[in-house]
Amino acid sequence: MEESIVPAISIRDVHKHFGPHEVLQGIDMNVMPQEVVCLIGPSGSGKSTLLRCVNFLEVYDGGEILVDGALMGYEIQYDGTRRRASEERIRESRRDLGMVFQHFNLWPHMTVMENVTEALVSVAGKTKSEAQKIGIKCLERVGMAEKNASYPAQLSGGQQQRVAIARALAMEPRIMLFDEPTSALDPELVGDVLQVMRKLAAEGMTMLIVTHEMGFAAEVADRVVFMEGGRVVEEGPPDKLFHNPESPRFAAFLKSWTQRNGQTV
Amino acid sequence: METLASFFAGWQSFITENGPDFAAALWVTIRISLFSVVCGIGLGFLAELGRRIFPWLRTPVACYVEFFRGTPLLIQLYLLYYGGPRLGIVLDAEPAGMLGMSLYAAAYFCEIFRAGFDSIPEGQREAAHCLGIRPWRRLWRIELPQMAQIVLPPSVNQIITLIKDSAVLSIITVAELTKTATRIMNISFEIVMPLCLLALLYWFISEAVAMASNRLEARLTRHMAR
Repeated sequence: MEESIVPAISIRDVHKHFGPHEVLQGIDMNVMPQEVVCLIGPSGSGKSTLLRCVNFLEVYDGGEILVDGALMGYEIQYDGTRRRASEERIRESRRDLGMVFQHFNLWPHMTVMENVTEALVSVAGKTKSEAQKIGIKCLERVGMAEKNASYPAQLSGGQQQRVAIARALAMEPRIMLFDEPTSALDPELVGDVLQVMRKLAAEGMTMLIVTHEMGFAAEVADRVVFMEGGRVVEEGPPDKLFHNPESPRFAAFLKSWTQRNGQTV
Repeated sequence: METLASFFAGWQSFITENGPDFAAALWVTIRISLFSVVCGIGLGFLAELGRRIFPWLRTPVACYVEFFRGTPLLIQLYLLYYGGPRLGIVLDAEPAGMLGMSLYAAAYFCEIFRAGFDSIPEGQREAAHCLGIRPWRRLWRIELPQMAQIVLPPSVNQIITLIKDSAVLSIITVAELTKTATRIMNISFEIVMPLCLLALLYWFISEAVAMASNRLEARLTRHMAR
């Protein structure tokens, strides 16, 4: 039955090299519409690289990534070979994707409102007042509306990340990608950001999340994917995965996490 | 008392006699500096932008920068003014000076802009990519405003250095400040007064540039932690 639904993201046998080092060694994975998938694994396992391949911030060199059924980053030529798509095409393919970065990547010389409305004006073609209406709505969704006139440097990390989420939401993406959204935050600021993400998930947003927050993954994810050494080692619903890991590697990863955090997932 | 009075009298007659010449020369120096700063910034920016967009421009731009930074301005001006005619480039002293100074300045500004571009974290460009913002818009709205505050201090240094370097134009007979002061020294056998006035005038221009840049810097950094 699942075959009839087009996956929001379809990753097929994706390979990626950094020089001689193969960081992605054939990844297969689907993210269905409205599904929340968490990518977990040790540092260097390739999970962030994979996420960045999905919106073509990193060029993958083997396999294919389909976003809403359309090939990301490449054009198939008449002779069947493929070449890198034009920047215009890549921009077009990214329209459905919102991206949230580990280090927020807000533009420091713009106010919160300007950060959120920049693409609305310059890409979506809204007038300034339309953009500000949308902007304030998006900022309300992340609880940052009253800070709309502040500059990023005046906000805490958690607040900056919520603004970054609002900036991505403003373009009405159908899929949100999160690249370790809480890893750069002080522990007491993590909660607010996770709360916003929880709400998004509840609203039915399709989300692919690279995270180290196991508790969050267990609670919110529909499916958890454990990666190591550029491969998917194990995947499944969080209940099954966290309580009944099949592979010894994931069991060991879970055990060390439990020891470090003094609690089970 | 007597000496002080004669001191002032000496200056007074010196200024009345040579003031107009110095004023004219000051204008020449300002004119040449302004022209070469504007052209240098423009050309330097284009060169830097060009090599970022077109990889094949990297080597030519690098050669250009290395040549103009690595050789003395004096030699460049000699080559242009005295060697130029052999290649069919015949210019009067002042246009030759302006051209030479502009080419020289562009090499330095190109490097200043390189540092400016490099200072913007890649993540900010990635954020723009992800939102579908086009390259020119990104340059205008995201990169340039942030670069401005970063390239401003080194640019001001460079501008002041250029203004003072324009003294070299005296050797290709441009009637700018230094040339004028030397000429007056040769005619009047007065050494101290022309040199003091010369130094004072350069200092005056540099100070004006520095003051203007301080104002601009305050404006550009208004978003920084308040």
